[in-house]
Amino acid sequence: MLTYQFDWSVVTSGKYFEWLVSGCKVTLQISVVGIVLAFIVGLLIAVMRMSNFRPARWFALAYLEFFRNTPLLVQIFFWYFGSYKILPTAVNDWLNSTNFEFAAAVIALTIYTSAFIAEDIRSGVLSIPKEQMEAARSAGFSFLRSMQYIILPQAVRITVPPLVNQFLNLAKNSSLAMTIGVMELTYQARQVESYTFKGFEAFTAATVVYLVLSSSITALVHLYDKRVLNPNRAV
Amino acid sequence: MRKLITVALALVLVGVLGTAALAAPPADTLAEVKKKGVLVAGVKDSLPPFGYIDEKTRSIVGYDIDFINAIAKKLGVKVELKPVTSASRMPQLQEGNIDIIAATMTKNPERAKQVDFSHTYFFTGQKFITKKGTVRTLKDLAGKKIGTAKGSTSEQNVKKSIPTATVLSFDDYPQAFLALQQGKVAAVTTDEAILAGILAKAPNKAQFEIPNLQISDEPYGLGMRKGDKNFVDFVNKTILQMEKSGEAKKIFEKWFGPNTQFHLKRNFKITADK
Repeated sequence: MLTYQFDWSVVTSGKYFEWLVSGCKVTLQISVVGIVLAFIVGLLIAVMRMSNFRPARWFALAYLEFFRNTPLLVQIFFWYFGSYKILPTAVNDWLNSTNFEFAAAVIALTIYTSAFIAEDIRSGVLSIPKEQMEAARSAGFSFLRSMQYIILPQAVRITVPPLVNQFLNLAKNSSLAMTIGVMELTYQARQVESYTFKGFEAFTAATVVYLVLSSSITALVHLYDKRVLNPNRAV
Repeated sequence: MRKLITVALALVLVGVLGTAALAAPPADTLAEVKKKGVLVAGVKDSLPPFGYIDEKTRSIVGYDIDFINAIAKKLGVKVELKPVTSASRMPQLQEGNIDIIAATMTKNPERAKQVDFSHTYFFTGQKFITKKGTVRTLKDLAGKKIGTAKGSTSEQNVKKSIPTATVLSFDDYPQAFLALQQGKVAAVTTDEAILAGILAKAPNKAQFEIPNLQISDEPYGLGMRKGDKNFVDFVNKTILQMEKSGEAKKIFEKWFGPNTQFHLKRNFKITADK
């Protein structure tokens, strides 16, 4: 056995407990804002990807390929450090005076995850018989309205399980935000470790929080699925 | 019940960490090192001049490494250097992957509960690196963002001396310095010797300076496993002898003296801690 003395009081009370709690809050904020935005952006990109308007389709294709095929960490650095080279000085000054670290992390996570969500939704749409779209169009609905009223409501219902996957990925990927100084849960756990060397305790606490957060997301979506979206679905 | 949970969690963690964690570290490192004929040291490999990879020889050199070499020579064993980070050095020592930490580790009471420190072998203080002319007193940093690297004690000291400042910890110092160049932080803070190393490497060093604002004392110690008394005594004896013979001073001059880019004055001597 290790010659390691466990001391759980480090993470259950006092200063270090407060650090972990503040880390939880930030992780929760990133996750909630990120999930909502990623879902909306993912829907838009999915619709663009399937539209008959070529520039929109091409844009969506480029978006999907670019953001699905590059590492998230690189994207976070791109939005945080890389944006400096592109933006005018006045904008940079303003951004630097705000909590740009948080914003850059949310932007990166949203865009990265939305690319995966868009593809999941597209696969849901493809599973709807194409006669429905044809029927909607011949009944006088425009492409967007057919999507809005007929196709997407059904597609999203089918897509719920893979969407939960993407939401969970986003919540856990939020730990990468610590690389640009966002004080989220993993960052705080590491801070506690470097101050106290109680790494086992700090990361066990963080692991428990991630488990609770992930299970809550899964439970909430399944509850919504069961009560509202698919009351008749078996399991 | 609490004990049971602790044991259960410990077992889970050990299982996750795999067999490496199961190999218990030796109780008497001094005897063990002599037996296997090699001293395994955890050192920094990207932090000139404490520990970094020499471009010509491709091996790790620096102030910390010279101390390890001297200790190994005294022991009559070979040296094996293992790169560690500020966050990984402690677990590596406790799991027995390394015998000693020589990685710019500041001695503080909380750490001393987990490791035994040698006498102070390097002494520095925490300062700031800023854009030239922007910071004269600590008040100039009030309410600003200040960058540093993860796993260090720099953050705590800033919060004490400038409570209104926000500290951003980046993965490593190059990123913190990039954030300073882009104006994302008003200053980068850590030990002066490390700042001097960053400034010496910076491409546009004329735009930056290290104002004379010291917010803490940073005594560095070599870290060894808790209760490893024979080894700690041996290391302490060795570095005190190095001070006496002038070897310790020579090592300082070699890495920080007037012939280097750092121009630091040696404002300390290796003495026995109380």
